Amino acid sequence: MNHTTTSPSFSPSLWNLACARLVRDKIGMLSLGIVLFFILLSVGSFTGLIAQNWDEEIAVNYAPPSFLDTSKEHTDTVSRPVIARQQINLYGLHDPLSAVLNQIELAHPQDTMPPNDEKKLTHLLLGADKWGRSVALKTIKGSETSIMVGLIAAIVATCIGTVLGALAGYFGGWVDDLLNWFYNVFTAIPYLLLIFAIAAVLNQKGVTTIILILGLTGWTGVFRLIRAEYLKHRQREYVLAAKAMGASHYRRMFIHILPNTFHVILVQLSINVVGFIKSEVILSFLGFGVPVDVVSWGSMLNEAQNELVLGIWWQLLGAGAAMAILVTAFSVLTDTLRDALDPKVVA
Amino acid sequence: MINHLRQLVINSTILFVVLFAISYAEAAPLKVLHLSLSAAETGFDPVMTSDLNTAAIEEQIFEPLLTYDYLARPVKLVPRLAQGMPVITDHGKTWLFTLKKGVYFSPDPVFKGKRREVRAQDVAYTIMRFMDPKNRSPYKFLVDHKIVGLDQLGERAKQTGHFDYDANVPGLEVVGPYQLKIHLTGTDYNFGHAMAQPMFGIVAREVIENYAGDTASHPVGSGPYMIGKWIRSASISLIKNPNFRDEVWQFTSTDPSDQDIIRRMTGKKIPQIDEVDLQIVEESQSAYLSFLKGELDVFGVPGQFAPIVLSGNQLKPKLKEQGIQLTRLVDPAITYYFINIQDPILGGMSVQRIALRRAILMSINDEEMIRVIYKGQAFREAFPIPEGVNGHDQHYQSLIQYNPKEANDLLDAMGFMRGSDGYRRQPDGGPLYVKYTTSLTSQDRDLEEIMKKSLDRIGIHFVSEKLKFPEIIRAERQCRVAMRLSSWIADYPDGDNFMQLWYGPHTHENNASCYQNSQWDKLYEKTEMLPDSPERDDIYKQLARLLEIDGVTKVSTSHIRNVLIQPWVIGYKAHPILPSTWSYLDIDTKQEAH
Repeated sequence: MNHTTTSPSFSPSLWNLACARLVRDKIGMLSLGIVLFFILLSVGSFTGLIAQNWDEEIAVNYAPPSFLDTSKEHTDTVSRPVIARQQINLYGLHDPLSAVLNQIELAHPQDTMPPNDEKKLTHLLLGADKWGRSVALKTIKGSETSIMVGLIAAIVATCIGTVLGALAGYFGGWVDDLLNWFYNVFTAIPYLLLIFAIAAVLNQKGVTTIILILGLTGWTGVFRLIRAEYLKHRQREYVLAAKAMGASHYRRMFIHILPNTFHVILVQLSINVVGFIKSEVILSFLGFGVPVDVVSWGSMLNEAQNELVLGIWWQLLGAGAAMAILVTAFSVLTDTLRDALDPKVVA
Repeated sequence: MINHLRQLVINSTILFVVLFAISYAEAAPLKVLHLSLSAAETGFDPVMTSDLNTAAIEEQIFEPLLTYDYLARPVKLVPRLAQGMPVITDHGKTWLFTLKKGVYFSPDPVFKGKRREVRAQDVAYTIMRFMDPKNRSPYKFLVDHKIVGLDQLGERAKQTGHFDYDANVPGLEVVGPYQLKIHLTGTDYNFGHAMAQPMFGIVAREVIENYAGDTASHPVGSGPYMIGKWIRSASISLIKNPNFRDEVWQFTSTDPSDQDIIRRMTGKKIPQIDEVDLQIVEESQSAYLSFLKGELDVFGVPGQFAPIVLSGNQLKPKLKEQGIQLTRLVDPAITYYFINIQDPILGGMSVQRIALRRAILMSINDEEMIRVIYKGQAFREAFPIPEGVNGHDQHYQSLIQYNPKEANDLLDAMGFMRGSDGYRRQPDGGPLYVKYTTSLTSQDRDLEEIMKKSLDRIGIHFVSEKLKFPEIIRAERQCRVAMRLSSWIADYPDGDNFMQLWYGPHTHENNASCYQNSQWDKLYEKTEMLPDSPERDDIYKQLARLLEIDGVTKVSTSHIRNVLIQPWVIGYKAHPILPSTWSYLDIDTKQEAH
């Protein structure tokens, strides 16, 4: 006996539909490719696979960009003789380090500084900075800082905004009033001024500080949207049904409603990433950003501002172009995601 | 009828001429000198001032008894508020100053509409303020231990918490309304230089008492200018002091390069410029671009801009074609690294800590800094007293030389061992790092990079502290700055002005390293009693060496001052000592408009 089966009618999920829409958008896919490329670069840099030696002074100061020229020359750092300590007049004073320094000199006699016969490149792919460090490697290493700051700060801000928005929207009443007041206070202060104020108060430079600053100040947009979503969803039948079944507030908020706001959260997250990459650059450019041992696109642009007057344009080009490409690609990707995740958009 | 008509024509002509003259006078453009300051002002109470930018403004608002001749080189003291040079008797122990008559303070509500003349009592009051513990004057060293009876008054104030300005100080004898006799505790031929400092600009007691607690916001002096508009840390406008006396420009010089200045300025009333507009522009690039656009009249070229301004030692032809003038001189100044002797990580006088500090100072490559950051507009200096200042020794060799290998060996020998991360720990295993303080400018970031590289060479962690310049000064006075590259320019051309930077009792004033060494202090006190002489120079060498032995300081560089001046500015000559000379300048408004 033939057994026939009827295949059930296929009902694609929101995510499947979104993926299908995303794949069909060629510009969106190109943007995704660029973003993934930058993320790979930063991961490679973070793990030390590439640009590990970005701070090595491999070229002469301000070596110009060139694709072909690989010639080297002696550096102009003159090897000068060290004056023997015994020749230096102590004017009758006692030096408590005399004995130990004599021992060191006996063990390692050195009449002159180690000869500096190191040759350095006269040209580099994207040129060199004032210390002779490769601008190309700095740009790659800078992508690590910028993307890491952008991503982590955006995750922090989105989490804060989501939790506060969920509380305000779900509970309403005085909780909503209180959180709205808090939101109003934050949004009443111009964003960059608020960032500078917190940066000045913290006065601790570092990637973690920047992430904290951006994460703690950037949650307001997410809060507003998530609150609206929760206000909308809390009276829906599925939530009321869950309530009737005895689901707790926590369960209703984060197990039932939250998945239905993911598309909003995802879009907000990607918008924040773009914004925070730009904010990090601005902070570093103005001297509030990363410390001197960390390179970011902002710190490169900060260095480039004085170099430009001297006709040294390659550091500005490296950092500026990388940031422009990533930010543009991320913005386009955000638009594409928004379209792809919007269930009202007809394929 | 004809007579009436004639009269009408004559009257109309007179009226027309008068109106034309009035309108012309009204239309005469104001002479405004546009300048920039690289750091914000710190307030205008001369007794509390320690930075050059603020002193430059105070030089125009307040007047000390003496000043320096504008054109004379080497620099020469001349009278300012004093009628003439002081009469010095008793082997340099007694100084009789006679004040000019008819010198008035600028108007202030405190004077209730009356003109207030500067008297000898004001000079005595001004000097007494330096010993008032409440003022914490960084320039106290100029009168400390020097004036008979003044130290005792200061000590009493420390105990009672109240400085008695009415007390009789035997060393400050007011002979008459215009005469003050100052009795010194010992021979001091440099005292005249002290009386030429802008910090000794004369103030009125009633003004200071009226604005007690906020004196820095109410500068009232007798100088050619007074504060017009002041937006703190942003802009300051100086306008003419209406009470300034009649004084004319009459400097002389035999230097051929000064003759054009003399020809164009002699006989002109001081000041010629109606307003001095000062903008705080921390970034040199912004200031340079403003200068190129004609928005600034004078621009001090920082080292990193030398390649675009200079060809060798000459102005670039393109700038020369625009009529821009260049003035160059070697600044009587040093930059020096200091380490705070009270810092919990780097301070102390144990052999280990001394070795640590010396190793840090040995890891700094000044030549790289001169080449990369200052673009050759500086040179290596080893002695704390710079060229052009009494006591300088050009053959002095520093004990602390760039030698990272020996620095590493020294740290190894002293038990500062490297951990698995390649960085060293304290001998007891505690964390080891250097907190290095800089300002927020891009050049300061370069200096940070130099320091970071230096410390990396010897495996010590670098920690950055960024503060605005006035905050750095405050932190230094509280001994909170662990390490910094500082600079000092001569207030007067004598080595004492530099050596006082490490004198123990000057802690919380100018001794930013908070260095306390009785041996050093005794030697320094000895130099105070000596005139400029080989004997004093020998002690200066000992003092310099002791600073190196203790690892407190490493003198780094001296700089070449390049100043660009717009073609319409008349009479500019860079002065090695005077912080500002704006009242001696003029502006060709026609050329400026052109």
